[in-house]
Amino acid sequence: MNEILDSLTRCVERGKVNIKSPYPPDLKGQDGADEFARKAVEAGIPPQDILSNGLIVGMQRVGTRFRNKEIFVPDVLMAAKAMAAAMEHLKPFFKTDALKHKGTIVIGTVLGDLHDIGKKLVSMVIEGAGWEVIDLGTDVSPEKFLKAVDEHPGCVVGLSALLTTTMVNMETTVKHVKGKYPNIKVIIGGAPVTEEFALKIGADGYSGDPQGAVEFLNSRCSTN
Amino acid sequence: MPESLSPDVVTFAPPLRDLGVDSALICSDLGYRHGAPDMIKELIDEVLPLVASRIDLRCGFRILPAESVKLTTGIASVQGVDFSTGPIISHELKHSTSVAVFAASAGPRLEHWAGEVMASGDMMRGYIIDAIASEYVSMAAEWLEHRVEEEAGKRGWQITNRYSPGHCDWPVSEQHKLFSFLPEHFCGITLTESALMLPIKSISGIIGLGRDVKRGAFQCTLCELKDCFQRRDEPVTAVERT
Repeated sequence: MNEILDSLTRCVERGKVNIKSPYPPDLKGQDGADEFARKAVEAGIPPQDILSNGLIVGMQRVGTRFRNKEIFVPDVLMAAKAMAAAMEHLKPFFKTDALKHKGTIVIGTVLGDLHDIGKKLVSMVIEGAGWEVIDLGTDVSPEKFLKAVDEHPGCVVGLSALLTTTMVNMETTVKHVKGKYPNIKVIIGGAPVTEEFALKIGADGYSGDPQGAVEFLNSRCSTN
Repeated sequence: MPESLSPDVVTFAPPLRDLGVDSALICSDLGYRHGAPDMIKELIDEVLPLVASRIDLRCGFRILPAESVKLTTGIASVQGVDFSTGPIISHELKHSTSVAVFAASAGPRLEHWAGEVMASGDMMRGYIIDAIASEYVSMAAEWLEHRVEEEAGKRGWQITNRYSPGHCDWPVSEQHKLFSFLPEHFCGITLTESALMLPIKSISGIIGLGRDVKRGAFQCTLCELKDCFQRRDEPVTAVERT
């Protein structure tokens, strides 16, 4: 049983999507995350174990290696693709009590800012860590964030900005959301953002990389 | 061939072949300084010519008259418009008597394409398109700097490095002041209220000009944002081959 989960972890870490995937070359022709996830389900491994002890372990290694600059964005994208292929086999279990997300994060790039890729990358790694991600896109108004929080009670809010001119809109958003939900956790990130700025605007956390966001969520926001 | 919009404003469609954008450069930009996986290299090789067929690269500059610049600590005053460039850039502009205000853009089609590809679920391909577009704009600005240098040389001037809002404490919000020196929709660029350039794959800034100015240290070595995602270890030299 552990062999299947170990293989699943390795496939996510290496970005091996399925048997047809030629990447990485040393695993060409071998089963990928898609096949190992199916085997794990068929072997009767509890879905929560498949997620927690297989997939999440792989994505955690990816996040750490990315933070350490051992791998780069394309490698994370391949890992996320492998993760997504495996998650297809687990999706039905989310509809029952067999599998639960650790929580929900509503994420978006703040008003006035159209930068998308960094936020998408963070979303993928967070999703790979077992969280449900509601991606509101870019140029998201404080009102739209609040509406999403209304729709997802107990969620965490993630704000992204890439410009010094738009990071000020993070403060407006934090105030708007916390005005109605004082206990909601907000994490911010983006090139010009710092921990000091996060503290100043009343956000609860800051991360300079995707794995840091996962660590914040797991340590301070997880309900499961 | 340059196109003159007015006596002191010129725009160009830089020849792509002169910009030195190739697979090795893109791989390096993506972080793979010591060789990228074959799959990434193959994807870049596949996408590069497609990008070249969809890019609408434009760049240009305006050289302001002599004696149009006054420098004080942290402020560069250009024809009475004060730019809060910060102490680092104002120091680097020392001895400038004029500036060239410049901009370059990859045009809107690539961004739309990259967005569509990502929305279809192929994040990797979309990301590669986006990275190539960034590199083309960056190299177009490098190419343009040489054109500014040629033009400055005719007047007996040297040039500084180029500096952009967002660099070294120069607020991005001052894009609005910067573009006030250029014709409307210069190189197809518009500014949002938050000073974001559209298309996003655009660069703007100034270059100091004067008889006694010097090219200082490479821009990134001046900046305190050590973890900046755009930080380069050394100057890009590909254009210098042209």
